[in-house]
Amino acid sequence: MLTQALFRALDKKAVWVIGIFLAVAVLVPMANLLIPAGQFGHVPTYMVSLMGKYLSYAILALALDLVWGYCGILSLGHGAFFALGGYAMGMYLMRQIGTRGVYGHPVLPDFMVFLNWKELPWYWFGFDNFWFAMAMVVSVPGLLAFVFGFFAFRSRVTGVYLSIITQAMTFALLLAFFRNDMGFGGNNGLTDFKDILGSPVQAQSTRAALFAATAIALALSVLICSLIVNSKLGKVMVAVRDAESRTRFLGYPVEYVKLFAFTVSAVMAGIAGALYVPQVGIINPSEFEPGNSIEVVIWAAVGGRGTLIGPIIGAIVVNLGKSWFTTTLPDFWLFALGTLFIFTTLFLPRGIVGLWSQVVGSRRTRRVSDAAPPAAPTPVQSADIERGEDPASFGNGTQAKPAE
Amino acid sequence: MLTHFLRLALLTLSLLLPMQTVHSQDTVDIPAGIAAMGEASLRELGDIVTSLAGTGDPAVVPVLTALGDGNLYVDETSGTVVIQRGSTHLDPLTGEEITLGADADLSRIRVNNGLRRDIDAALAGMTLMSDNPGTRLTAANGFLANPDPANIPLLDEAIAVETDANVLKAMQAARAVTVLGDAEQSLEDRQAAVPVVASGAGRNAITILNAARADAPEELAASIAAAISGLEQERAVWGALQNVWFGVSLGSVLLLAAIGLAITFGVMGVINMAHGEMVMLGAYTTFIVQLVIRQNFPGLLDYSLLIALPCAFLVTGAIGVGIERGIIRWLYGRPLETLLATWGLSLILQQTVRSIFGPTNQMVIAPTWMSGSTEFLGLSITYNRFWIVIFALVVFALLLLILNRTPLGLQMRAVTQNRRMASAMGIRTPFVDAMTFGLGSGIAGLAGVALTQIDNISPNLGQNYIIDSFMVVVFGGVGNLWGTLVGALSLGIANKFLEPYAGAVLGKILILVLIILFIQRRPRGLFALKGRAVEQ
Amino acid sequence: MSTATDTMLYLDGVSVAFDGFKAINNLSIIVKPAEMLAIIGPNGAGKTTMMDIITGKTSPDAGQVLFDGRTDLTRLDEAAIANLGIGRKFQKPTVFESHTVWDNLEMALKKPRGIFATLFYTASDADIARISEILETVRLIARKDELAANLSHGQKQWLEIGMLLAQDPKLLLVDEPVAGMTDSETEETAKLLREIATTRSVVVVEHDMSFVRDLGSRVVCLAEGSVLAEGTLDQVSANPVVIERYLGR
Repeated sequence: MLTQALFRALDKKAVWVIGIFLAVAVLVPMANLLIPAGQFGHVPTYMVSLMGKYLSYAILALALDLVWGYCGILSLGHGAFFALGGYAMGMYLMRQIGTRGVYGHPVLPDFMVFLNWKELPWYWFGFDNFWFAMAMVVSVPGLLAFVFGFFAFRSRVTGVYLSIITQAMTFALLLAFFRNDMGFGGNNGLTDFKDILGSPVQAQSTRAALFAATAIALALSVLICSLIVNSKLGKVMVAVRDAESRTRFLGYPVEYVKLFAFTVSAVMAGIAGALYVPQVGIINPSEFEPGNSIEVVIWAAVGGRGTLIGPIIGAIVVNLGKSWFTTTLPDFWLFALGTLFIFTTLFLPRGIVGLWSQVVGSRRTRRVSDAAPPAAPTPVQSADIERGEDPASFGNGTQAKPAE
Repeated sequence: MLTHFLRLALLTLSLLLPMQTVHSQDTVDIPAGIAAMGEASLRELGDIVTSLAGTGDPAVVPVLTALGDGNLYVDETSGTVVIQRGSTHLDPLTGEEITLGADADLSRIRVNNGLRRDIDAALAGMTLMSDNPGTRLTAANGFLANPDPANIPLLDEAIAVETDANVLKAMQAARAVTVLGDAEQSLEDRQAAVPVVASGAGRNAITILNAARADAPEELAASIAAAISGLEQERAVWGALQNVWFGVSLGSVLLLAAIGLAITFGVMGVINMAHGEMVMLGAYTTFIVQLVIRQNFPGLLDYSLLIALPCAFLVTGAIGVGIERGIIRWLYGRPLETLLATWGLSLILQQTVRSIFGPTNQMVIAPTWMSGSTEFLGLSITYNRFWIVIFALVVFALLLLILNRTPLGLQMRAVTQNRRMASAMGIRTPFVDAMTFGLGSGIAGLAGVALTQIDNISPNLGQNYIIDSFMVVVFGGVGNLWGTLVGALSLGIANKFLEPYAGAVLGKILILVLIILFIQRRPRGLFALKGRAVEQ
Repeated sequence: MSTATDTMLYLDGVSVAFDGFKAINNLSIIVKPAEMLAIIGPNGAGKTTMMDIITGKTSPDAGQVLFDGRTDLTRLDEAAIANLGIGRKFQKPTVFESHTVWDNLEMALKKPRGIFATLFYTASDADIARISEILETVRLIARKDELAANLSHGQKQWLEIGMLLAQDPKLLLVDEPVAGMTDSETEETAKLLREIATTRSVVVVEHDMSFVRDLGSRVVCLAEGSVLAEGTLDQVSANPVVIERYLGR
């Protein structure tokens, strides 16, 4: 059963993507460690970390795409799952500092000593163990998504309502994590990490290893997503996206289909966050900012949602752009990002990947069906959204509507 | 406002009154009396004091005060009586400075303790008996603050003839406080004084009672304790009322911010993430209007907010129409993409404003009629909050009127309910869409004008309100203005009631969590529409 | 309760109101196993609302809705009701347009609907044969790999009927199946439905009188949310009240 599912997952495209990232996982660290600096082909360490950061963003974008692109749930709170995974990793890293903190306290992190805390809060217990921390990386975002989704989907909160309450969720977490007495370092977050699994975080080899781990995690994420979207469940997810109530009348438990996608996606986001934190060296409450979560949406949109490679491309391209702008033209980054939002939604509804397949498709067979240009919205659709019932919108304007 | 006028009127009266009394009461010649003080013996001095005090004329108060304090001097050379203050000498009646001759030989007019007591009593009695209720009130409050058993007869006398209810109350309170604190009074009298103190001594009642309880006999202490707990309960009620007011005030701000959204989201189904930026642009329009007025028409500065209202409405309304025509109309039927595009727009608008005005906060000066505060039934109400509440309600009422009573409103509702049918009946739906969106944005601009009075004007202004506004609309029920009103006020009040217990931040988190839970119980909000149409 | 036994669908005294407007008013209808029932009636008679109540989309204010003589449908949600064996075809054809014709049928095929069963589902030979058979029946075998979005209106109607067949329900609710079909397609549809009705219960809502005549089943005429007349088509269309309120003179 599983082998058949795996076989299905490894279709031609997915194999390519997985292959590329596995190769990257090996080649980039080699180019960093084996080729001496200054020689052709050397990848500087800062570049390795930067690319590692982009790849962890790519996992996050892929996670979002699973719920948005395939299941029609526009989550504006995925940054929260990312940040929670990051905090779990950050807590492990804080515990690894030991007596090397500014205050030299053997157990308490610096900020707790500073706040005159006498002992470690109960929820910090166990984080000195790497595997416990990794279990938390997976289970905390997963559990939050499960509980949140369970109530939301069962009450049939859909479309923009869901988007708004996911945004409220991350906003509430933002406010909570800003508080000093939450015990997560307040405003400053967790930083000044020293070791991960016994090796110094700053060391070149650690950074290369972290990069390799991120690239492998990305390849695995692609595999899992491919497994899901190529299964019948994946088809049901798309059915839910396009015509939620029709799917219900076919007898599918729509709530649990969504809950499954949402939870899997949150776990992936948490893992992305955990890989992100040691590479950037800090995690603070600003990761919960609603704006960050919306930015993730635009990565997926730019690359092309509803595809596996699209969000990865989107995350990398947009963040490359961000890095370029913030060093060269810092004042113009927000203009560029804003324009990107508007341009993509208006002119590139299927993203870079959609554009590509449109160009390739029309050259090869001139089949209009696959790459139908976005039609102008019809009055019917406008009427539907006014009732607040549009489950999700998807690129082409000719999509099916729920019953009647 | 009223108290201000009252105070002014009283002041005027008190200025006029002395002149009249001087002329009417010619039985005692005040200047002569004062002049006689210089050479008078102690006994004569006592008579003069009594006769001066008997005039009831406030003009004699400075002289008597100075005499009691030992500041009244006589120039032995010329026989002039003066008040010495530091190195200057004042005329005892007019208070003007007098330059004494070079050969002046000042000596203090001496008084003894008996006389001093007479003077104090006379002074207190005089002010208690003054024709001016304000003066009497001040005197009574003076007794309240410094209770002295010796004053009880005086207070009794004043209470007997007092006609002004407020002053009477103050006097009774003063007497009660004195009685309560006087161990020599009978227990019954002191018992009887407790409720009078509790009701009459205002804010200090609890302090006074607490002080009295410390050395009161057991029986009395019990009734004092009862009075204190009664007062504390009362105070809790007032505290709650004050919280309700703060909540209403916050709710009205939320209402202003959310009501435009109720139009664009509730009526059109468009998620406008740039709504907060419309509010922000409204605030900056106010800033510019005030700048222009200050430079060119400083006389109109007090009205700059009123002038800014139509400007902000037009500016943001026009931008709203532009957004609808330029972006949103291509995205009807794709609400999630509208959300993304308008988010992008909000980034651009923020950055634009940041580039033009800089990231720092700008100031809009409050007009005089919006600064200061007043007490109303024991609630302290600042004028700016008060006017914002009024303004929010007016905007709400106007919007209801527009939607329910104008052709545009009719067309809007028609388009909402059945776009195709409305279009078939000849309604220009694109025009109505643009106007509706313009209206929603214009109202956001109005909210921006109001927010200049309570918040910093910065490019991030809108961001602080957008999530709250969405919460209000979703909580109240989409497509229902009354729902928005109830939603805004209840969220505002709930927030203010949670704050004291949970702190501002935790209170806000609690509210967010509660709303998330609420939406899951009632996905269509408080005032959801029912029926087959919406169930589809 | 004795009356409810031996019925496939049993509606007794069902009422539902939307903001005071009574869409269904004390409606009682019985459908026996392997029986076809045609429902006619003017617009707003409550035909679609009745379907909504049976399939769990709307819950009634009052009354009893029983399936198979024992299961109370008012307590279940749409998915649970569908899994009991009630299939519904909508007035406007609703197929999954971004899926192929084949995938549409595969999703509809009667199989466990659980998350993990669906995730690890692989079509067996029997499943493939069954889908092919249905494709033959609804004449879409040639277009099985095309996106459903590219089908014509009539073909979408047929695909939806095919999806109904794939669901293998005990009770089919069919809302205006022949709207937009040509005369020959209409006849074919009537034939197909008659065939289905030999083994299952079918409720058809239709305006097309010649189609209803082709079905040759018992007919119920609804108006203002309750039953106006019941019997054969000839009996119902001879009923003076029906003529007055629905057919016109």
